[in-house]
Amino acid sequence: MATLSRLERWSDKLDVCIRCGYCYEHCPVFKSTRWETDAPRAKLALLYGMLHGELEPSDYIAEKLFECLHCGRCAAACSSGVPILEIFDDARADLLDLGFEPVGTISQTDHQRCAKCLNCVRICPHEARSFRDGKIVTDPLKCQSCGSCLDVCSCCGITIRRGFGTNPDEQREAIAGFLSKPGEDRLRAVVFGCSWSCYPGLQVSSLEGDAGPAECLTQITACSGRLKTHLVLEALELGAWGVLVARCPDDDCEHEGSPRARARVERIQSFLEHLGVDPRRVQDVVIGKADSAAFSTAVEAFLGELREIGPIRGSSAA
Amino acid sequence: MDTVDTSRLKAIVGEHNVVEDEADRYIYGSDSSVHAAMPAAVVRAETAEQVQQLLRHANEQGIPVVPRGSGSGMCGQVVPIKGGIVLDLKAMNRILEINVKDGYCRVEPGVIDDDLNRALKPHGFFYPPTPASSRIATIGGELGNNASGTRSVKYGAARDSLLGMKVVLANGELIELGTHTKVAASGYQLERLFVGSEGTLGVIVEATLSFVPIPVHRCLGIACFDTLDAAGQAISDTIASGCQPSMLELVDKVAITAVNRSMDLGLPDVEAILLFEADGMVKEAVEFEIEKMQAVFEKHGGHGMEASYEADDRTRIFAARKKLFPALSRYKDGYSSTALADDMAVPFSKMAETASKIHEVAERNGIVMTAYGHCGSGCMHTKILMDTTEPQHWEAARKAVAEIYEYVRSVGGTTSAEHGIGISKAPAWKQEKTGTLEVMRAVKRAFDPNNILNPGKLMDAPDDWFSATGLRYSPAAQGDDGNAE
Repeated sequence: MATLSRLERWSDKLDVCIRCGYCYEHCPVFKSTRWETDAPRAKLALLYGMLHGELEPSDYIAEKLFECLHCGRCAAACSSGVPILEIFDDARADLLDLGFEPVGTISQTDHQRCAKCLNCVRICPHEARSFRDGKIVTDPLKCQSCGSCLDVCSCCGITIRRGFGTNPDEQREAIAGFLSKPGEDRLRAVVFGCSWSCYPGLQVSSLEGDAGPAECLTQITACSGRLKTHLVLEALELGAWGVLVARCPDDDCEHEGSPRARARVERIQSFLEHLGVDPRRVQDVVIGKADSAAFSTAVEAFLGELREIGPIRGSSAA
Repeated sequence: MDTVDTSRLKAIVGEHNVVEDEADRYIYGSDSSVHAAMPAAVVRAETAEQVQQLLRHANEQGIPVVPRGSGSGMCGQVVPIKGGIVLDLKAMNRILEINVKDGYCRVEPGVIDDDLNRALKPHGFFYPPTPASSRIATIGGELGNNASGTRSVKYGAARDSLLGMKVVLANGELIELGTHTKVAASGYQLERLFVGSEGTLGVIVEATLSFVPIPVHRCLGIACFDTLDAAGQAISDTIASGCQPSMLELVDKVAITAVNRSMDLGLPDVEAILLFEADGMVKEAVEFEIEKMQAVFEKHGGHGMEASYEADDRTRIFAARKKLFPALSRYKDGYSSTALADDMAVPFSKMAETASKIHEVAERNGIVMTAYGHCGSGCMHTKILMDTTEPQHWEAARKAVAEIYEYVRSVGGTTSAEHGIGISKAPAWKQEKTGTLEVMRAVKRAFDPNNILNPGKLMDAPDDWFSATGLRYSPAAQGDDGNAE
């Protein structure tokens, strides 16, 4: 009978977690749902509960464990030194052995739509996708939910069921909502960033009412390589004065997607220039891992530049 | 109360704001303390009206309600010891107004401390209570526990920045307390009654807070001491000398070791260090304070002193203090940091003796304890570091907690400086407040006659923290037979 045998090895490390909750600040899944059960602290506690017989393994817990954008910020920021990623990896393997079949943030293939072009297999930087028995399959333990496969799938046959704000459809809705608020004459910008590079600097509290509307909406992608050209153009069309794309250094990108983001921004700039729109309205910036200060500075500088340029249809527009 | 009718709760806050899976209830039944208890349901409110409806319903049905911020408390304040509903307020996270002209801001209870300060910064102001957990701590939680932090020595605690609040009472009534003005002289200061009440009197749904200008100059320094006693003497002498530090922090050798194992900061390997800071609008004034403090430190054998105005240097030094709490689990392999005897306040003149006492108690009981904290404001923190799988260590921890607080009372100190009472400090606090417990019970009855708001806490908390709840480390702590005693 399958057990939590891998997890048992981490019993002492689960005690070392003092449950300070400082990982909340870093977790894009928690920041998206704001349910504590989605935060790394809670997931460690669930594992502790299962290991000590206080909780029975369940589909619900398995789903929670597999709902992760794999940015690794929680482990990097843990001052208690809990090897969170290794513990999660072993717990996931145990849960699969126990027969659970979670969907989580694992990329799923619609076999009816799949053209079997194998582009997703080739591009997956984590070797999570393979062609087996006539079908594309995903290894749930290897998938890092970066969305690279979705990015190259020409028949829209791949999905990540829950994106926690990172799926293009979710982002389109958020951008449209942000730009639909009254005040065409005020600065409004959209910033795309990957969960590695800039997430810790983002606040979850919102400024509303008399404090005034925010000038900037930040949208997080699991990897900047998943940036969609049409989302950038739609944002401009809906009234954004500009779009900033924050990405990791090319050689430091966990998912090999940063160069793709850079190439896309260059193409968009070229396109804008062709249309007679100031190409500075769409820029990319390289942010080192978890350098929230650099992220904030870059956003402020971008907003400052947009203030000088003005709105696209304004008198000072390009 | 183990079960509630969630259909009514869903009708109030929406289906998407109620979770009742065992896993969710398990998570919302614990915090950063050693305690855990299962609620019947977890409800998230998005508006004050929802809080009103929810409390009206709970009051009619006699369902316990425990308001919760981020669950970063160390004493079990939000552990639902009587079951019922955990009311998650993190979705009420709007900064409603920043009124620079009149010197106040209005925020909902789920606003994160650091977020508020990010919003105030462009205006040139900051909200000073800021505990070390400011990255996740909510304003509601800070007020409920009267939290403070490293700069409390100059700027005070949460109560000192509070001007007014809106509160939903147990019967669902929304009342407005305090003012939006800097001063307000007369009548009962009811808004302050809710500060430190740990969710037992009402649910804060809006707070009006004051803020202060961000100083142009900040200088942060470090001083080394060869004995803990010398560092303690230096602290009390600094205050007695009329210095005005904006930060004066003690870090003992246990904490130094843990921080150095956790972060590559290279803190000096000495018995104790003091982190000291002065701030102000004029550099000469800051320099004056820094030199004055350094002179006091030198008198007490302080050495290796350095101080810097540079932001990068200050960030590096301050990181050691900011992440000290989680770093303590790195002190020794096989040992974990437990939030027991976690904070207290003593008179300045007893600071050195208290620090020494903590180590003496730990050694005598065969465990490790650390002494650190915002000692410039009389606040001393400690934690018990032990092998949590070892029942003997738990027995030692029980003795140590009792001995520490008996000492604190004997020198005129108090059980909590800023972390609150919750469950783990309730026995000691009740002994300290013996003469006023009945008055507090009368106040509680006046606001919450049906005792639905965070019942079983403060004056009504259990007399034995060890057996009060299923301890997080229950298999070892409670022995093989699973019994607490």
